Amino acid sequence: MVLTLDRVAKFYGDKPVLREVSLALAPGQVLLVAGENGAGKSTLLKVMAGLSRPSAGTVRQGVDQSRVAYLGHQTFLYPRLTALENLRFWARLYGRDGGEAALLAALERVGLARAAHEEAGSFSRGMAQRLSLARVFLVDPALLFLDEPGTGLDVRSRGVLRAEIAAARERGAALVWVSHALGEDLPAADLVLLLDKGRAGYFGPAAGFAAEGGGA
Amino acid sequence: MIRPALVIAGKDLRLVLAGGVGLAQPVLLGLLLVFVFSLARPAGELVPPQAAAGVFWLASLFAMVLIYNTLYSLEEAHGARTGLLLAPLAPQAVWLGKGLAGAGLLVVSQVVFLPAAMIFLGQDFHGGVGLALLTLLAGDLGVCVLGSLLGALAQGQAARESLLTVVLFPLLVPLLLAGVRLGGLYFEGALEWEAAASWLGLAAAFDAVFAAAALILFPFVYTGED
Amino acid sequence: MNADNTGAGWVGPLAAAAGLALAGAQWFIFGYAPVEATMGVVQKIFYPHLGLAWWGMFSFFTVFAAGALYLWKREARFDRLAGAAAEVGVLFSALALVCGSLWARPIWNVWWTWDPRLTTALIMCFIYAAYLVLRASGLGRERRALVCAVVGVAAFLDVPLVFISARMWRSIHPAVFKRQGGGLEPEMLLALFVTLFAFGLLWLCLVALRARQLAAAERASALAAGRMGL
Repeated sequence: MVLTLDRVAKFYGDKPVLREVSLALAPGQVLLVAGENGAGKSTLLKVMAGLSRPSAGTVRQGVDQSRVAYLGHQTFLYPRLTALENLRFWARLYGRDGGEAALLAALERVGLARAAHEEAGSFSRGMAQRLSLARVFLVDPALLFLDEPGTGLDVRSRGVLRAEIAAARERGAALVWVSHALGEDLPAADLVLLLDKGRAGYFGPAAGFAAEGGGA
Repeated sequence: MIRPALVIAGKDLRLVLAGGVGLAQPVLLGLLLVFVFSLARPAGELVPPQAAAGVFWLASLFAMVLIYNTLYSLEEAHGARTGLLLAPLAPQAVWLGKGLAGAGLLVVSQVVFLPAAMIFLGQDFHGGVGLALLTLLAGDLGVCVLGSLLGALAQGQAARESLLTVVLFPLLVPLLLAGVRLGGLYFEGALEWEAAASWLGLAAAFDAVFAAAALILFPFVYTGED
Repeated sequence: MNADNTGAGWVGPLAAAAGLALAGAQWFIFGYAPVEATMGVVQKIFYPHLGLAWWGMFSFFTVFAAGALYLWKREARFDRLAGAAAEVGVLFSALALVCGSLWARPIWNVWWTWDPRLTTALIMCFIYAAYLVLRASGLGRERRALVCAVVGVAAFLDVPLVFISARMWRSIHPAVFKRQGGGLEPEMLLALFVTLFAFGLLWLCLVALRARQLAAAERASALAAGRMGL
């Protein structure tokens, strides 16, 4: 199992945000996390990624930390560094110092080769997210967390995003995907977790979820 | 831990020094402090050497707070802090990397403060430069160890910069006393091993205690929570 | 988290005991202990001064221990204990400094002496006052508790270093002022122990009450948040 949660709960003071969430994710599976605003999706993602300690229960990642990646609203960019310098920094931290050629190839894949020497601060939202994508796929993740990554993206960037995610799946990566557009993303999922006020309302195969009339 | 720390330090130094504006605030603040203090000197009177050392170290401390606040604020703009915490490195590597970067920036600032203190406060060069440098090293080390630990506390938010100052300064008193005493002796021309040994020992003990404490405590200050 | 009704049980009688003990200590100080030969009646401020200083110091140790326990266990009650102890500690230490000042003035004609113990107490006051400011700042609850615990631990580690540096500093300007050292008569020692005990009871009461207040405040805000459907 790439990711295991066992009765995870999270309290902020006395306020419960997550209650008794359990799940397991195998390599190559896509888990869709859905729910209303305030249901606890982002908190759950943080706990799963190891950024936040659960108040109760355990979280276990079955892969090495160097193969875990996160793509969300925030791009992890340094505005005053160029695209290339940003990428080089993260590549070095992840031990993937393959040299200039590898970095430029990664930028090429997301269509940013021409902006390689531009400061990341001057990028549009779409370009910034694509740079973030390049960062993520340089890592070649075995476990990928996605927090509504398509928000605010232009058509082109969304296309690049979908392509890269499909490629990652093919390489056997497991994905945890927080989504707002349930109808749109459901077909791509294997498992669905529906959060209702912090509790796991439904956890199981996506097919079963659709059959129960979910995703309407 | 060392390699990632160096990568982080390199990145931080590039970000702060590129364009040169990054160091302007700390350096200017320190210079202003030295200058304003020199105005307090009655005309024709000498500034006591210990007072001059005191002003030098105060300038250094204020510069240090600004430096570490800046270094940690670099990670807040686009959530890079989350990225660092997710990366395959010990959280302490962030403390070490920023500690090193801050130390470099602090030394550069002090290179400006020292001649300013000498010029405006009427001090002179003396023998015992080796010991003086050792004092600077021991003092800066402790200052950066704590500065990097508690700089993470403020997470670079402007409202918390003054909070950082208020918390950090009293903790640094032992180092301040050592730095002022030995700096004063240097400006007097009386800095020699016998007088300096116990103070340097105190500073070294301070550095060791808080380096060990920081290694244990840093992961609690630098988390994914807000 | 259960309602803390059990607290009401022991704090009440403890407060009464503290009151009686303090009254008893007063008798010991003024009625039992002899007047000091050289300093006269003013010397008697030494008893509450030491009582306050000692328990102020113990407060700061409590902040350290509670902070360390919070970092380990992450239980909110340790965070509240640290907060309560810090408040009482700052209060007691500040009062101890005032007593010290009132004592120094008639005896040595100065308001402040750079006595290493007084200096350490002053620095500690600064450190823990900053700690209280940190507690009041608008950090998120969990993070605030973590950060305060870290500062609480670091602050206490600093205390011996501050004391040593203050002593080294003072040795440069040799003391004209000598503190009340050993050489206390047995009656004075007894009065001192009674005073320490009485102040200890008072300390315990204040910290317990304050910690319970903090717990009640947290429950109230949680209820309010629940009512608003947050």
